[in-house]
Amino acid sequence: MIWVETLVNGILYGGLYGLLGVGLALIVGVMRVVNLSHGEFIVLSAFIGVSLVGAVPWVHPLVLIVPVAVIAFALGFGLQAVLINRVVTRPDPFAAILLTFGVAVVMRNLMVEVFGADPRNLPAGRLAQASAGVFGLHVGVLPIIILALSIVLFTGLQLILTRTRFGRIVRATADHRDVVRLMGVNPGRVYNVVMGLSLALASVAGMLLAMRSSFTPYSGVERLLISFEVVVLGGLGTFWGAMLGGITLGVAELVGLRFDTNAGPLYAHLLFLIGVLLRPNGLFRVRG
Amino acid sequence: MTLLDVRGLDAFYGDFQALFDLTLDVDAGETVALIGANGAGKSTFLRCLVGLMNARRGEISFAGEPIAGQPAERISRLGLSLVPEGRLLFPSLTVEENLLMGALNQRPGSWTLARVFELFPILRERRRQRPDALSGGQQHMVAIGRALMSNPKLLLCDEISLGLAPLVVDQIYESLDRIRAEGASIVLVEQDVKRAAGAADRVYCLLKGRITLHGPARGLGLDQLSRAYFGT
Amino acid sequence: MKAARWLIAIVAALVVVAAPWFVGEGALRFVSEAMLMLAMAQMWNLLAGYAGLVSMGQQVFVGLGAYALFFASISLKLAPFWVLPLAPLVCAAVAAVVALFLFRLREAYFAIGTWVFSEVVSLLISKTERLGGERGIGLPTARLIGAHWLEPLTFWISAAIAVGAVAGTYALLRSRVGLGLMTVRDNDVAAASIGVDVWRNRFIAFVLSAAGCGLAGAVSFTATLYVAPSFAFDPNWVVAMMFIVIIGGIGTLEGPILGVVIYFALRELLTVAFGLTGGWYLVGLGLVAIATMLFEPAGLWPLLRARVGGDWLSVRRHPPDREWRAIMPSTSDAERRAAEERSRRGSAH
Repeated sequence: MIWVETLVNGILYGGLYGLLGVGLALIVGVMRVVNLSHGEFIVLSAFIGVSLVGAVPWVHPLVLIVPVAVIAFALGFGLQAVLINRVVTRPDPFAAILLTFGVAVVMRNLMVEVFGADPRNLPAGRLAQASAGVFGLHVGVLPIIILALSIVLFTGLQLILTRTRFGRIVRATADHRDVVRLMGVNPGRVYNVVMGLSLALASVAGMLLAMRSSFTPYSGVERLLISFEVVVLGGLGTFWGAMLGGITLGVAELVGLRFDTNAGPLYAHLLFLIGVLLRPNGLFRVRG
Repeated sequence: MTLLDVRGLDAFYGDFQALFDLTLDVDAGETVALIGANGAGKSTFLRCLVGLMNARRGEISFAGEPIAGQPAERISRLGLSLVPEGRLLFPSLTVEENLLMGALNQRPGSWTLARVFELFPILRERRRQRPDALSGGQQHMVAIGRALMSNPKLLLCDEISLGLAPLVVDQIYESLDRIRAEGASIVLVEQDVKRAAGAADRVYCLLKGRITLHGPARGLGLDQLSRAYFGT
Repeated sequence: MKAARWLIAIVAALVVVAAPWFVGEGALRFVSEAMLMLAMAQMWNLLAGYAGLVSMGQQVFVGLGAYALFFASISLKLAPFWVLPLAPLVCAAVAAVVALFLFRLREAYFAIGTWVFSEVVSLLISKTERLGGERGIGLPTARLIGAHWLEPLTFWISAAIAVGAVAGTYALLRSRVGLGLMTVRDNDVAAASIGVDVWRNRFIAFVLSAAGCGLAGAVSFTATLYVAPSFAFDPNWVVAMMFIVIIGGIGTLEGPILGVVIYFALRELLTVAFGLTGGWYLVGLGLVAIATMLFEPAGLWPLLRARVGGDWLSVRRHPPDREWRAIMPSTSDAERRAAEERSRRGSAH
């Protein structure tokens, strides 16, 4: 019974991992850029959430996800407009990597100076403890909410990309950055919005993660690695693949923790390395 | 009335000069052919026109407005439309979505999605398919349709016959007649001299970045064209 | 010219040998650290600037080298420096195996993949009691060296490693393997089409780079007499390597030398003169790196090169003079150098 519960909880948290990765998958697919500061923005969102909770303690953190996501969108927009757009057109694939790594280092250490290195978390109140009986299993209410939220966001993203005019423009820009200019589209502005979306999604994941476990300014590294593993396992740049990749990693981590309590993300990482060895193009090739 | 006026255009790729003192004009309602061998500079010229490339020297004026050095996004709103070499359709978009992309900059005019489907009926059948499911000729049709959707004053066609069977090329060129009838001016860039000269009012010939010949299409003899094309 | 270079080399060697008698221990430590950073930076530069592989996980080899030395020294009850060769060997072996996994990933994915690997090793060692777990282990066998000899020995070995790293990389790049590497860096598809074994060249660079980092890491931790996972596998190692190379000049041999000077000057400036703590110093470093990537992605060495008048350690190859004149009959020496300079600046990133 315990194992089935672990499995189910792993799937539920896997949705969260998928959410961590989908923001990265989005910009990889559209701009071919890997944002190495993705993890730091996830953590920053959590810190902003903590600050907001301090300011308005009567509001539940779940509700505060909305303003934090808006702030994250603005930050992403700015990051792209001011910094990343300058290197995205360079043929050298490393410029963006190195630039965003620099941003990550700056952010990480600034957060240490500003917020301190003590672990924090977002108090989810009674929701964190609550569990529901589903088919005789004890399943946390929070994980269910997290999974539901992840599915809603994933679906929303898919719909935006496939059914709206804006989504069409994004896909076209991802295909041919130069040709869209002939149709009056400024690729830089498209990228700004996409990066904003990416970080908004990451911020939701960051807030949800913070409700589940504590974090410090150094947690960004782990978040980045998980996001990245989700993207690669899912098949580089597809969305539902990222979701499935996240679930796989979530299950691996929780199952691993069952029999090895201080392993941390070790088993997720190991699964990733093995996955890369066996199927470097991703475990789930889903057309996104 | 002169629609496009190019004077003294010099274009470079790094240190390599691709265009030398290019001077060319297109009147409203005209079809002008720009012919030349591979590497003569034809596509370079078109890229300078639409703003994907900056010429180092020279002036370009379109419908009275100077456009040299302007970004492509801005130029596209003025009524200049390009069918790029190699089609360059958006592989992630369906045929219909590709055409709709062309309409982002839609100016008032007669070309709509319905009219494009009238011009190329096969596309209506395949509207929900992706470009890679289409034949070469059909992809050219999508590319032309996409360029038409903005109702351009001047349509630039870069090698629209390349790699197609003669029968298909006939079809494509027939569509040009109808496009012309709706009032668009056309610049035809081609390697196929006969086709281009046959469809055009005037011809320019480009060799290694320089104009070696220009004149009314009817008056040019094969000898003359050969010399201008190959440089012998 | 050659005689002058040899003279400089000999004088420099003498200075290094004699230094411990004239210079205080603090200064010795500082220079040792700089030398080891230079070696590591050259190793990162070999990978990124010449083999085209950006690694965000090189710290794993720094740590593994240190752990290999500590473990061997303690188990075999030998003075640390006797088992030093084990460090690069262990790292080379590990690198050879992990390359099988990681080489399936390209570009940014390879970069983060190496980082994942580093985290895995760090976690595994944290859970291994024999290696000290999370607390780490000390180096009791250091007593076998003798307190007075630890710093000087560290100093001489660090200097030797630094010189070796630079000279070794130079020799490698001037060899056939090096030429192959650089073609792969510039255009791996084209390189493969002319018969260059892309995988093999990158593999060699990866293994050598790992060995170099392991060697430097082993010496570095010997000097501190203590190793623990959080220090051994700290990503800040690769942060330092990267920034030194980027700011100094990626893809050149002189770049990291310049980079090390700037790195330590900046560190001393920010921490001593401005009294900032470690965190702020890293913020400053990060900002400088960002600015460099935006405005001078080729680093500062190419800017300096013009003033200094030519390369010190150039690995560029020129066609023999006669053939050059045959292709370019009308260019003078000055024009030719100007054209080279322009193409070098243009292709330096």
